Amino acid sequence: MNELVAVVIGLFAGTITGIVPGAGVTVAMIVATPLLMGFDVVQLLLFYMSLASMVQFTGTIPAVYLGVPGETNSLPAVIEGTKFNKRKLAKLAIGICALGSLFGSVIAVGLSYGFISWLSKHMTVFFSNVTKFYLYIFIIGFCVLVYNKKNIFINMILCAIGYVLSLPGESDISSGFRYTLGIDDLQFGIPLIPVLIGFLVVPTIANMFGRNQKDNFMPSIDIGFCKVLKYFKNKCLPSTLRGSVIGYFCGFVPGVSTILSTNASYSYEKKLNPNNPGKTLVASETANNAGQFASMLPLLLIGIPITGSEIVLYTLLVDAGWSPFQFDNVSNNADMIFKKIVPWFVFANIVGLLVAWPLARTILNLFANKKKFMIGVLSVGMVLLNTYLGILDYRVVFYTTCLLIFGCVGFYIRKYETIPLIFMFILGNDMEGVFLRQWLM
Amino acid sequence: MKTITIIVILLFTSMAMADSITIINNGKAGGSYNARTQMYKDGLEARGFEVMYENIGKISQAVKIFKETNKPTLMVFSSNQVHKQDLYHEKGNFILLEYQQPMYICKTNEASNKKVNLTVAHGKGYDTKLLNKIFGDNIVLVPYKNSGAMLKGILGGDVDAMVNNQGKSFRYLKSGKGTCDVSADLPIMMATVIGKNVNVKTIRKILVGVSYDKTFVDYRSTRKLDRPEGTWFEELKLVQESETNWQ
Repeated sequence: MNELVAVVIGLFAGTITGIVPGAGVTVAMIVATPLLMGFDVVQLLLFYMSLASMVQFTGTIPAVYLGVPGETNSLPAVIEGTKFNKRKLAKLAIGICALGSLFGSVIAVGLSYGFISWLSKHMTVFFSNVTKFYLYIFIIGFCVLVYNKKNIFINMILCAIGYVLSLPGESDISSGFRYTLGIDDLQFGIPLIPVLIGFLVVPTIANMFGRNQKDNFMPSIDIGFCKVLKYFKNKCLPSTLRGSVIGYFCGFVPGVSTILSTNASYSYEKKLNPNNPGKTLVASETANNAGQFASMLPLLLIGIPITGSEIVLYTLLVDAGWSPFQFDNVSNNADMIFKKIVPWFVFANIVGLLVAWPLARTILNLFANKKKFMIGVLSVGMVLLNTYLGILDYRVVFYTTCLLIFGCVGFYIRKYETIPLIFMFILGNDMEGVFLRQWLM
Repeated sequence: MKTITIIVILLFTSMAMADSITIINNGKAGGSYNARTQMYKDGLEARGFEVMYENIGKISQAVKIFKETNKPTLMVFSSNQVHKQDLYHEKGNFILLEYQQPMYICKTNEASNKKVNLTVAHGKGYDTKLLNKIFGDNIVLVPYKNSGAMLKGILGGDVDAMVNNQGKSFRYLKSGKGTCDVSADLPIMMATVIGKNVNVKTIRKILVGVSYDKTFVDYRSTRKLDRPEGTWFEELKLVQESETNWQ
């Protein structure tokens, strides 16, 4: 019964977190901390699993229909999902994503079961600098060669801008603050949300409501679940398998985990099927769920948290009496994963599928019937979100200034795909450290 | 009616009399600064204080706010941060020394006898000259963002050795992949509490009590943290010595 309570609360929290842009798993864990302090170890793990799984399902809805990423790992869903939306096929996109996510989770469980003894012995391979180095090379190559109709020059400029924006503040490899230009608020770096809104949401909204796209908020074609299932079975299964495997192994990489899972899988699928948004979308969303499960294994097996939200979970687990030194207890931990966690994980994913579909339908209908009102809500919502996060970060003026500047620049460059800029902004600081260490070693 | 009026007056009077104090949280969720701040907040609330919790989450930003505040304010701090943050322990702000932990040097089993071209992971703010003094000149120093990144680096096979704090070193030791020893050359990290616009002696008595609450004792015992005991003056002297060593 206690387990069920934890799972249900986790699913509810995940549903809300997924549909609120910018609110990720880490934020949800922090908000829920007072409630979680009364949970035992298994309840905490189940809550986290349910929350993180549900976010992958419902996070796709604003990404596909509004072009607003729920989290940074929703970027491929934004790019490919809006293509479906323009053809009034948002329901199809959300449906195949939900199915892919369920498959991804089940495949991740299967892979873990098959490789558990190997994983227990060699998991630390994924922690090495060289693994990250080659993955970053792959991502940079992808950013430069794939976007903006393969215009390498434009892509390189966008990458450079993203990297420059990531520089101010604290570096990952040297002490002190750099490139602050005498502005105190720059000591803590340029905040993520204004960059995402300015360079991703503003161009997306501008393009969606441009002169040639008046019918963007026409009602989506009503596609039943059976048709979605048929489409998925006929066209998306190989992409699902590829996405699951790539996403699963990328999920072990510390710090970037599911961001890497979705983007690496997306990059690979884009190479194979450059003009098929269905396959690329499903591959990235499948990878997201597979990566989510994989990212939990280092914590569960050897007690090493590898993502921000897991660090929060880790503290709560220690406070609940969990031993942080897990290396000598790997076989017991593996046993616990498959007996106590996995059945609930599969359950959470099935609920995710069942909830995402009707929830998407409700949101789609709302948008179809009240177009201008919802556009206004979306725009005001973005400004409020930025202001709220600025207040929380004690930098509200700076957040607002950044939003204004990046919003204007984003609008000006709206005809370009800005994903290379955003990738480099998010990963730039970490990349710098990884490249320096690789050179030193 | 009279009774109700008296109760309401008493209620408001007692609320107005409750001591009000601000606690600045300067650590991220999941970190030790954050956990310690939370425990002090709970302890003070349990003792009838009205606690304003300023959740900053970044030490540099927190220090800035701490320096500028004109309200009674507390903040957890440590001796290894003073030079970077330009905020030193002194008579006017030092409240108590909470625990101390030495730094450790860990080596992989494969590199136990390696002397030449040893790759050594260190935190980004570490004094590289001191590391050269400890390991010799024929080493490669590899900087990492923080203690957690160093642990993952050595577990992933990036480096032969690392200089890390007690918590992460114990975890490495537990992996069976290498050995760790306390460093006699590296300074000891001391976790403290500092305050501003407060009566240091009065608040010290209360916070020492809080630091012996069960949650605090469990926290230190789980992490094997040493709690030095002494007078306020002795503790301040120890912390200031540690500060000098971190320079």
